[in-house]
Amino acid sequence: MLPHPAVFHFPWEIHLIKDGASVRTSGRLTSYKPQESKAILSTQQSSIWYQLTVQTTLVEPFQPILGAQYLVLGEIEKAEGVSGVVLCARALNCVDGVDLALMQQAILEQRYFFKERKPELNILEPLSPSNV
Amino acid sequence: MADVDELPSLLWGLDTVFSAYPKLYIIDILEMGESRQVPGVYFYKTHPVSQVDVLGTVVCKREREDFYCYGVDDSTGVINCLCWKDEKWRDQGEPATCRNSSVASGGFNIEDELKRLKETQRKSSVLEIGDLLRVRGAVKTSRGQREIKASCFYKVDDPLMAVQISRMVEMPQLYRKWYDKPFQVPGDELCAKEATGSTNFQILVSRSVLTLQEFLSEKGVARFRPYDVEFLLHPLVQNAVSDQVTEQDKDLHTGIKNIIREDTKREKYAEKGCHILHLLSSIRQRYSQNISREALQVALTFLECNSDIISTTEAHYTIL
Repeated sequence: MLPHPAVFHFPWEIHLIKDGASVRTSGRLTSYKPQESKAILSTQQSSIWYQLTVQTTLVEPFQPILGAQYLVLGEIEKAEGVSGVVLCARALNCVDGVDLALMQQAILEQRYFFKERKPELNILEPLSPSNV
Repeated sequence: MADVDELPSLLWGLDTVFSAYPKLYIIDILEMGESRQVPGVYFYKTHPVSQVDVLGTVVCKREREDFYCYGVDDSTGVINCLCWKDEKWRDQGEPATCRNSSVASGGFNIEDELKRLKETQRKSSVLEIGDLLRVRGAVKTSRGQREIKASCFYKVDDPLMAVQISRMVEMPQLYRKWYDKPFQVPGDELCAKEATGSTNFQILVSRSVLTLQEFLSEKGVARFRPYDVEFLLHPLVQNAVSDQVTEQDKDLHTGIKNIIREDTKREKYAEKGCHILHLLSSIRQRYSQNISREALQVALTFLECNSDIISTTEAHYTIL
């Protein structure tokens, strides 16, 4: 049984995505607690800081480089009673030095293409045979 | 879904997408309909596709005796890729690890370097979850599941995401420029321009294929002899082939000209020229029993266009 495809999302969209969805996103590693297997990826977007908690159990051991840009792929977990969202990582790659502006542009271009194909497509929904 | 008007397989080779490894989104590979004519060939819109080029993250991995099965995710879909293990890496025992022997021996050790090179090669063919994989291979359906049987695959080292980003930018352009544009049979365009020569032949072949397919599917015919369906192609052949053949039959032209030249010397034909029926019987005697009046008419028109002969009445011809 194959997992669902992980769609690119910007860090500031993550809280809008429904529980259990597969996503890929990026951010700077600002904290890592190996005892709890929890990392925090931070992103600044128009003067607001977005923080995303990443569950790293499945991708350990990895060499954390604080301050480096990471690309993470995994599932959204919205646990009850816990504020915020946890991303349970299936893959975590250091991509420090990536051209973030170009990456954003590429993501937007791909979205635009799929939107063009199917105008009623909601970009926050995962792609599935029924909505492409 | 497979197009209802699937392109006849005879013409697939004319579609460049078919001979390339199109860079399709995995979701499209998963949803392509299989051809009704040839199993193992799929249709993305009007384009026949049997092999693809995919770049994505490995999200699951299973090892079999002969191959690895990687689940590859390109953010639109996930597909299994069967990547054969290279014979070279088998029965090699322990892979060479980065020992310090070259340092210990105090110099360049070619054997160690070779081992290291092989190790690097081996590493690029064995991937872990989270690695980026580029695959080219044939699309298959096995137990109802779409998969790619790799003919070429490797791990992509992409620490700055440059490869992934350029691919994401490239693909919509490829779709707009090629994959989403309907494939046009070159013959159809030329047909309107009344092309001649070999292209005419292609048009005839494609038309014949279509005519036969329509007939066979309409009547639900499973088996037939060529003789049984010959009549279907007669209109095509008579309109195009015989005209073309007649126009280019130099012997026939010379024959007609000789008859007219000789017979117009006779008093009977001197004034008005020869009647077409007279020409027909003469040409049948001298040239071929099988020639029809229509074919003769085509040849006479051709000769008249060339100013070799001229018609004096509707049915009489004389030499120029």
